Amino acid sequence: MGQRTGRRQFLGGLLAAGLIPKPTWADAGAPAFLSAAARPDGRYVLCGITAPLEVVFEIDLPARGHAATAHPRRPEAVAFARRPGTFAVVIDCLQGRAKATLTAPEGRHFYGHGVYSESGDFLFTTENDFEAGQGRVGVWDVGAGYKRIAEFPSGGVGPHDIKRLPGRETLVVANGGIETHPASGRAKLNLPDMQPNLAYIDDGTVTEVTMLPAGMHRNSIRHLAVSAQGAVAFGMQWQGDGPAAALVGYHWQGGAMQVMRTPGEDLRAMAGYIGSIAFAPDGKRICVTSPRGGLLQTYDAVTAQLQDSRPLADVCGVAPLVGDFLVTSGTGVLQRMSRLAVPHAVPLMWDNHLVAVAA
Amino acid sequence: MRRFVMILACVLIPSAVGAGPKAMVIEDSIEGHILPRFERLAEASDVLAQTAGQGCTGASDALVRAYRDAFDAWISASHLRFGPTEVEDRAFALAFWPDSRGKTPRALRKLIAEADPIGLSVTDYAQMSIAARGFHALEFLLFDPGVSSTGDAGYRCRLVQTVAGDIAVTAGAILKDWQTDYAARLRTPRAQGTYRTEDEAVQVLFKALTTGLQFTSEVRLGRPLGTFDRPRPKRAESWRSGRSARHVMLSLRATRDLALRLAAGDAAVHAALEDAFGRALTRLEALNDPVFAGVADPQGRLKVEVMQQAVDSIRAVVQQDLGPTLGVVAGFNALDGD
Repeated sequence: MGQRTGRRQFLGGLLAAGLIPKPTWADAGAPAFLSAAARPDGRYVLCGITAPLEVVFEIDLPARGHAATAHPRRPEAVAFARRPGTFAVVIDCLQGRAKATLTAPEGRHFYGHGVYSESGDFLFTTENDFEAGQGRVGVWDVGAGYKRIAEFPSGGVGPHDIKRLPGRETLVVANGGIETHPASGRAKLNLPDMQPNLAYIDDGTVTEVTMLPAGMHRNSIRHLAVSAQGAVAFGMQWQGDGPAAALVGYHWQGGAMQVMRTPGEDLRAMAGYIGSIAFAPDGKRICVTSPRGGLLQTYDAVTAQLQDSRPLADVCGVAPLVGDFLVTSGTGVLQRMSRLAVPHAVPLMWDNHLVAVAA
Repeated sequence: MRRFVMILACVLIPSAVGAGPKAMVIEDSIEGHILPRFERLAEASDVLAQTAGQGCTGASDALVRAYRDAFDAWISASHLRFGPTEVEDRAFALAFWPDSRGKTPRALRKLIAEADPIGLSVTDYAQMSIAARGFHALEFLLFDPGVSSTGDAGYRCRLVQTVAGDIAVTAGAILKDWQTDYAARLRTPRAQGTYRTEDEAVQVLFKALTTGLQFTSEVRLGRPLGTFDRPRPKRAESWRSGRSARHVMLSLRATRDLALRLAAGDAAVHAALEDAFGRALTRLEALNDPVFAGVADPQGRLKVEVMQQAVDSIRAVVQQDLGPTLGVVAGFNALDGD
């Protein structure tokens, strides 16, 4: 790790001297994944993790993080504060330091997720216009040092995760449906009439809004995964009393929402709560995690059936690996799903999301 | 009496009847905390409905008194948000608040303007939007100068009677479900049941406690506090009837009662909870600001903030001390909830 840090510093020096015109992710120690974490000493960091599961950098964050998003080309990432935070830190993963801080405009806060445009020229962030109780997507100009340049409606209330369809500029937003206000912390202000949806946005305009079947409106759509083929999988968090009808769904733009079928006991074991979701690289399998249930499950994306269910205490982060998934937990586990029987933990509490860096 | 016998039985022959400390806590919470609160709510709501038959405006002292008693009873049970209160949104039908988009006055004004016949039948009114039902709707009808004077007085009078009658029906249904069904589910966990283990039953009680305290801190106090630059006194709960601080007091007393029952097995945690609740209640009394109007000026605001911190201190004791003694410990991510 020391060697790698040295390499980064060396490259950083070259960069400063103008000797390398375009640093890439390879220059940052080639992390394949990013995840926020809490250290045993109480500091919060953003970590870079290589494919062989080596932590190649830990960069300080001002407070607890939630998710990160990696720039498609340049070795920089944005780490978002935990909801309802108002900051996001742009991290130069080559130099190992913050290069800019995004501050939510007055009357807005972040939800912990964001995504770059395909070109990498813009960053989109999910935000709450909390007086209006409406979701917004903030637009930041990367080239201008992450300057706030515009915003548009997210198509619903309480937007959380945001992703981009592959090879296009179409955004997909999980509008969780839950109204909150920073004066009331995370208290949910509109449960009886919450109405979550999945919204597709082209060029700042909501072009499609799709909703859950009747009777499921208390299922907050929170987290998204997009396959290389363009399918959208979503993980939900049940806000009603008693068992949820489903916690995982699937959608193709233009089609109807489909929910995954889970046998009663397996569904109940997820405690009404999906923390993260990922597609396998081939788009045929979906993995979801439940830190509350201490369980991860995989589904067949084609048949919409549960494939398997495995215990892992406080599991949350999940990211695709060829033929497998990589999972993290709040107890420090960083391991391939297929090898969970072999403990591999690091002295970090991995936070909610594990994010793949585009190769 | 029944509770006494049960506890005695547990003390004398704990292993013989299989009633360990958790079973005792569950039984005590049902018999000593939950059922009496929903009984009180049903009784007071019946009185409210009957009283509305005799006087149907805010000028009727008897009605205002009955309203206050019944609303007190609801606030004292309002943290028990699982099972019977959640069937058909009964809890929201009793208390639709916070109403961040002003749906309650809008729905009531529309009903009154149209003299909608749905407002004349308690049976039909169960189909009405929950925003127009319950104690907050009644507060507008009795105490809001605008809503209580708009449209036809005769219709408004009937609407008050309908809303009161609907509250009584809802409160009665919650009690009936608890008595005939849900108490047994909670008391006797089984493999195919709502609760499979005593741990799950204790967890739902613990969750009622933590979410009740969260609501008091973040919503009952947080809504009027707003931000320093923009305090929101008119977002206080039930300020029109002068009940905002009273609700904080009632909810603290109710959650204290539950917390102490849950802590019965641990003297140190019991004492820490008594101390934390005692401090918050003393501070509330000293605040002497019934509708948190003080949030509008910096000094008054500071006092309400300190009040909120006192509630958060209770929450910390509950989370850090009571949770582990009950075996309820959430992980880094499980607790994060996002």
